[in-house]
Amino acid sequence: MSSPRVVQVNMTEFCEATELSVAYVIEIVEHGIVEPVGKTPESWHFTDYELALAKRASTLRKDLDLEWEGVALALNLLEEVQQLRAENQMLKQRLGRLVQTP
Amino acid sequence: MPPMDFKDYYKILGVEPTADDKAIKTAYRKLARKYHPDVSKEKDAEAKFKDASEAYEALKSADKRAEYDDLRKYGQHGQPFQGPPGWQSRGGYGGGGEDTGDFSDFFSSIFGSRGNGFGGAQGRSAGRRGQDVEMELPVFLEETLSNESKPINFQVPQYNAAGQHVSNTTKSLNVKIPAGVADGERIRLKGQGAPGVGGGTNGDLYLIIKFAPHPKFDVEGENLIITLPLAPWELALGAEVAVPTLTGKINLKVPAGSQNGQRMRAKGHGLLNKAGQRGYLFVQLKAVMPKNTDDEVKALWQELAKKAAFDPRETWSS
Repeated sequence: MSSPRVVQVNMTEFCEATELSVAYVIEIVEHGIVEPVGKTPESWHFTDYELALAKRASTLRKDLDLEWEGVALALNLLEEVQQLRAENQMLKQRLGRLVQTP
Repeated sequence: MPPMDFKDYYKILGVEPTADDKAIKTAYRKLARKYHPDVSKEKDAEAKFKDASEAYEALKSADKRAEYDDLRKYGQHGQPFQGPPGWQSRGGYGGGGEDTGDFSDFFSSIFGSRGNGFGGAQGRSAGRRGQDVEMELPVFLEETLSNESKPINFQVPQYNAAGQHVSNTTKSLNVKIPAGVADGERIRLKGQGAPGVGGGTNGDLYLIIKFAPHPKFDVEGENLIITLPLAPWELALGAEVAVPTLTGKINLKVPAGSQNGQRMRAKGHGLLNKAGQRGYLFVQLKAVMPKNTDDEVKALWQELAKKAAFDPRETWSS
């Protein structure tokens, strides 16, 4: 079983997998939350990461009663937090190795 | 109906039973932001978020709240609940095949099943596609250098014909981890997610690669870092040291007069990148003092201190 490294999904597959309507997906794209390749919605292609992102966006919007702008901001900040956490963890680990005595 | 515990929705939201709608909404919103599973890193965030959502669902409308307030006289938070004499539970899944969401039995016994519908979903005709399943897959650094097969077990949600989540089954698979995977990378296994309902296609399984911490190496992109302990005289005089790599050992020449903390690099001993090449192994030098020194060694240090005439804090004395 081999898996292609970059998974691309078209609009139909995207809507099916996220359980979102076409209109809803267009809104998500218009807010720059996901950025598909392609000129028109019919020819859009998404990555599987964007699939997960769109799902997250729609649950956040519903659960926290947010506007799209708020969702987009939250997602950006969450990604930044995740990166900083990873970096912080790595630096802590490095520091530990430099400080600890064998 | 199995015995169930009473839930004090006011307590869950942290408000007084006399709180007005506005206070209830605010309390719910605060909890929702704090414990949303997409936001929070706390362990039981998801359960807390569900509790808060359920509490808000029960208290946000006047009708439901009045109904709940009546019953609340007969229950105590966390205690088994039977209701007042003559009270009839509305039962769990009886109510017309609607999705009850993930709310508790306690909730549906009072309010029946919740008409949830699908927010923003399309009412597609035939079957429904099965859900995608996501899981983290810990991978050892050594395993990223070649195509490795790994047995995995994962939980697949099962749905009945009405689309309700009924149980989970455990599935086992042997997956191929492609050489050169990166930390956080997603791997899709098509059709290995939840089965479709009513002729719909299966969902997919997504594995999210998570590098397991290594006892010796740290990861920096496609490069690795190892900390090399050296005696002060090895830094001073230079040394040839056998340094472990992911696959074996290399001999490294540490030049005389090296500084503590300095990095040296060995090409081709890092991780595999997407182009099929291996990054660097950075070797960071770390001076380590001997733990015990006898008088003879101490005398030698003293002699060195005199002869070297070195002031490491020169820059401070201006």
